[in-house]
Amino acid sequence: MKVISCIKPVPDPASRLIINEAKTWIKDQELTFVASEADNYALEEALRLKEKHGGEVVVLSLGGEEAARVLRSGLAMGADRAIHLLDPKFKGSDEFAAAAALARAIQKDGSADLVLAGVQSDDLGTGMTGTMMAEFLGWAHATVVVGVEVQPDNKSLRAQRELEGGINETVELTLPAVLTIQFGINHPRYASLKGIMAAKKKEFKAWSAADLELPDNAIGRAGATYDVTEVLFPERKSRVEIISGTPEEAAANLVEKLRKEAKVI
Amino acid sequence: MIFVIAEHKDNKLRPITSELLVFGQRVARDFGQPLTAVLLGSNTAGLAAELKSDKIDRILQAEHADLAEYNPDSYVHVLQSILSRDKPFLVLMGHTTQGMDFAPRLAVRLRRPLIAGCVEYEKQGDRLILTRQIFNAKMNMKTSVRGEPPYLATASPGAFPSDEVESGNAEVAMFPVELTEAPKRKVLSRVEAPRGQMDLSSAPIIVSGGRGLKLKENFKLIFELAEAIGGSVGASRPVVDAEWLPREYQIGSSGQTVSPRLYIAVGISGAIQHLVGMQTSRCIVAINKDSEAPIFKVAHYGIVDDLFKVVPALTKIFKQLRQA
Repeated sequence: MKVISCIKPVPDPASRLIINEAKTWIKDQELTFVASEADNYALEEALRLKEKHGGEVVVLSLGGEEAARVLRSGLAMGADRAIHLLDPKFKGSDEFAAAAALARAIQKDGSADLVLAGVQSDDLGTGMTGTMMAEFLGWAHATVVVGVEVQPDNKSLRAQRELEGGINETVELTLPAVLTIQFGINHPRYASLKGIMAAKKKEFKAWSAADLELPDNAIGRAGATYDVTEVLFPERKSRVEIISGTPEEAAANLVEKLRKEAKVI
Repeated sequence: MIFVIAEHKDNKLRPITSELLVFGQRVARDFGQPLTAVLLGSNTAGLAAELKSDKIDRILQAEHADLAEYNPDSYVHVLQSILSRDKPFLVLMGHTTQGMDFAPRLAVRLRRPLIAGCVEYEKQGDRLILTRQIFNAKMNMKTSVRGEPPYLATASPGAFPSDEVESGNAEVAMFPVELTEAPKRKVLSRVEAPRGQMDLSSAPIIVSGGRGLKLKENFKLIFELAEAIGGSVGASRPVVDAEWLPREYQIGSSGQTVSPRLYIAVGISGAIQHLVGMQTSRCIVAINKDSEAPIFKVAHYGIVDDLFKVVPALTKIFKQLRQA
């Protein structure tokens, strides 16, 4: 089976994030980008499906050099080839515009059985791009997936969805389908040195907006469905009392307050 | 019109429905618009009766045998016809495993904006500004939707107070449902995920560790502190995903919900999924080196410093107290 695994580049979680002058996003020029964490689980699941059922794994990403970087990591982990949606016109995409472009690339590449994406990204974190792709493609989908089992006829699959309150729901879907993969479904592998070397020889395609035959008003900022009016650190409406001092002083002060003020110990 | 898509399971309204009603009632008041609650299901009379005493202008029941069990295809199909007929201004759904399973499809079907995971809104002139959290709740993003209504939004669980639903007397109407296409997805079973024996729901003191501990081995700091203070150990989701601890230790929306007398969060940033599982604790202490971490929003006491220095110091004090 052919599995396409989508990867979103996001700032390394260890980065200190600073809001840009226009207050519309973060200053992202000097940051290091890595694959959004949930997308690593999705790619690992794709690689396991290939190991079990044969076929190929294609990694797909949209963005500038940071997207090329996460695609190369995906190839080093074991994906067979990469598709990079690269065009200044894609800049400023929201989830809707990104899903439209990704879905078009999946159609253009053709004959995929399954598309996997992380349950949500570490930046926007809304968890909608994968499901939106399913609708653009007209395919079935399932979200928050913690288990995948392809049926022997390769025409359907069973997916376990993790619902609230510790409930797992098993659903059956017709293929082709899109799944959004939950954290913890597996243990993503690390790229081996051999994998990194092998990645250099793998097919790496770049497609522009023109290659996808998408009109300018459907992509990037023009294709977005909303404007960002402000990005800000939330106001602390909290009651928190920050206890300062050296670690020892702060610890001693805290214990004192827990005993005398809060009276909880 | 403001629409709320009620969420229900096993013939009971889910808590998110009350939160959506509060959100909806406030937007309806501010924009001078009537509020409609939509019930999709096979037999929704009981649910409609439950909603009837809330301040809602109209309850719309859309019934069909194929809606007995949630599936995204039927939901999107029926909602598309309702929204095309009634043309509401705003449609509110839960930012839940169900809401976020169909809302993105509905947005693409209608070619309309979806703002997911809203925590606040404001009215700027005639404009609706919806605020959502980004970067794992470290920052907020205010958005203004483009184009013509309807606008779609999902509300983050816990963002609107479920106990502030205003009362009233709602009218009830039926929407005629036509469903011809078989859904591409069907539910085979629903079971409780395997979990261990540990029950933290009645623990009086919980010391909980998160990703800030960096390595599995470092979790011993949490066990040592818990032992010194006489408490139980809990964990955030990333810790469990990394298999530092079994699933039964997990606190949050997909783990256990706890409300101890004292909750000490160590190296936990405080994703909303974690906060909903512990924010009703009587006293919350957060220890984290990142002063912007959202855990400080719910904490009573905070120490912004290196946990590897603070936790051993705390453990030492509690051990001395015990011996005294």
